[in-house]
Amino acid sequence: MALLEVENMSIGYNTKKGYLKAVEGVSFTLEEGASLGFVGESGCGKTTIGMALMGLLPPNGSVREGRILFEGKNTLRMSDEEIRKIRWRKMAMIFQAAMNALNPVQRVGNQIAEAILVHNPSVGKEEAMGQVEALFELVGIPRDRLRDYPHQYSGGMKQRAVIAMALACHPKLIIADEPTTALDVIVQSQILGEIKDLQKEFNLSIIFISHDISIVADMCKDICVMYAGQLVEFGPREEVFESPSHPYTKALLSSFPTVTGKKSDLIPIPGETPNLVIPPAGCRFCDRCSGPGPSCQAEAPEWVEIGPGHKTLCCRC
Amino acid sequence: MHKRDESVLEIRDVSKIYKTRGAFFGSSGKDVTALYRISLDIFKGEIFGLVGESGSGKTTMGRLIVGLEDVNSGEIVLDGREIVGLRGRAQKEFRRKVQMIFQDPYQSLNPQRSIYDTVSEPLKIHGIGDASTRKDLVRETLKSVGLSPPDDFFFKYPHRLSGGQRQRVAIARAMILNPEFVISDEPTSMLDASISAQIFNILLELRNKLGVTQLFITHSLAAARYLCDRVAVIYRGNLMEVGPAEEVIRNPKHPYTQALLDAVPKFGHDRDAKRYGTLLAKDRDVEEDAGCVFFPRCAAAHEDRCGRKQPGLSQLGDGHFVACFRLEAMHEA
Repeated sequence: MALLEVENMSIGYNTKKGYLKAVEGVSFTLEEGASLGFVGESGCGKTTIGMALMGLLPPNGSVREGRILFEGKNTLRMSDEEIRKIRWRKMAMIFQAAMNALNPVQRVGNQIAEAILVHNPSVGKEEAMGQVEALFELVGIPRDRLRDYPHQYSGGMKQRAVIAMALACHPKLIIADEPTTALDVIVQSQILGEIKDLQKEFNLSIIFISHDISIVADMCKDICVMYAGQLVEFGPREEVFESPSHPYTKALLSSFPTVTGKKSDLIPIPGETPNLVIPPAGCRFCDRCSGPGPSCQAEAPEWVEIGPGHKTLCCRC
Repeated sequence: MHKRDESVLEIRDVSKIYKTRGAFFGSSGKDVTALYRISLDIFKGEIFGLVGESGSGKTTMGRLIVGLEDVNSGEIVLDGREIVGLRGRAQKEFRRKVQMIFQDPYQSLNPQRSIYDTVSEPLKIHGIGDASTRKDLVRETLKSVGLSPPDDFFFKYPHRLSGGQRQRVAIARAMILNPEFVISDEPTSMLDASISAQIFNILLELRNKLGVTQLFITHSLAAARYLCDRVAVIYRGNLMEVGPAEEVIRNPKHPYTQALLDAVPKFGHDRDAKRYGTLLAKDRDVEEDAGCVFFPRCAAAHEDRCGRKQPGLSQLGDGHFVACFRLEAMHEA
């Protein structure tokens, strides 16, 4: 049995402008110890998916249809109490902008100890602090910084502290949402290395969300490309990045500058993403696509299998 | 594309030191060196990239050049004229010639002004044209940054535009006075990749069609490689390496530049790219600050030499300079 199975999940938000269909019909599975990356641009729904998995959608958002099976149980049917038991203890999240995820008036060590104490009532305070020390060592923060406040930490250290907090209750699944976006490239590579090592050590399953293709490709074996609330391409990273099939994936790859290889012209994607209050009837990428077919505007595309485990949502592929 | 000998902007031995506020009682605060004795020439018609991490002093450099802050020592010379201490008409003329595009288009545009007002304001300030010529100029400029049809944007306000469109408005505002020199400070860091590429291509077009000299400030080596003719890498206010962009990025010589390149996530065929391994896993303890600024983190460093003295720039090849003892030694050998 897969650790996590998401079937045909759709998520919407009630907004002033109407009902916004943020995620439409997303399905995927994640095995234990596997890594899955979600890549797409702002507003494509990738963070919404992470929040829905954690049961942390804001009050105006809800999962409209579909199922989220975590260890075979549908988390959408669970009571708040039941989901609270899974959250943090079985799945944890590393949030975007970690610098704001820490409480500024509490010592970092205490905050992490608190996470342990809340979720494991049997653990004593001393023991919890001991565990925090071990966690700090794991993520590479010197022990003597345990009693510091968040503002005394650098950006990279705050990020490490947030990772330590996510690991505090030994979860099976970690959802990392843009964990390194605000960091410098050298610190970023250290943190990513850290996450990779921890994944190996604890056989963690990881869902990695980023707008940066190169990071997702570096971190995950399987890739989901998202556009305007839909999955548009799915497959192993070698397949998706070396022989991309969906026009959006291709366009995204060719709009990214690189430091290696031949220098080639970047091709921006013309236009803007569609309004998800009234999503287009046919293919959502149609207006920006370089070679749409005659039926793309009107008919919704279907999944096409183009290789082992490699699928694309495009009727021209 | 650019002429070697024709410098538009010369930065000569510029230092900038900020003083931190000290404790209420007690010490009077520390000096923070944002830039230390930087010298650079920017040639006519090129895009020059200034690459560095946060806190490296790259944004300070941009602010010094447009005169938002004053240097502590050194000179900045535009078209043969020292810019520090310009007043009156000379200052106004300078401000016509040098324009800046800021990082965050959500903050750099006044939300209460229509796009037309925003883009035409520089014309009014500098008393250029009458109402109808201004309108034509705004129209033309909006079109040149890809906002078309331009008349549709005249009476819109920034909140109705996407991030990419806002940044185009900011570029239009900078371009309307036909400046000689444009500084853009991380102009795409708030934007998605596909939109960033649009902005990059507009900046390239400004150089190719209008010959505008540009300083492009960025943390991204990949963006610098795509856009720039030459780049300078700075670290903690010190110049580490300068040279033709492709040369510096494909064939970096300074251990810091090499460490930066190592840290860029690579995928596809690039996964096998060679690693330089010039970054120490754990920083070295350094007692005094006399040596190279990268010494505490440098795996290629030589204890006696690099910890005691700061290396000067040595020339490697055509226009490629590196501040590292390792290369000085190789050169002498």
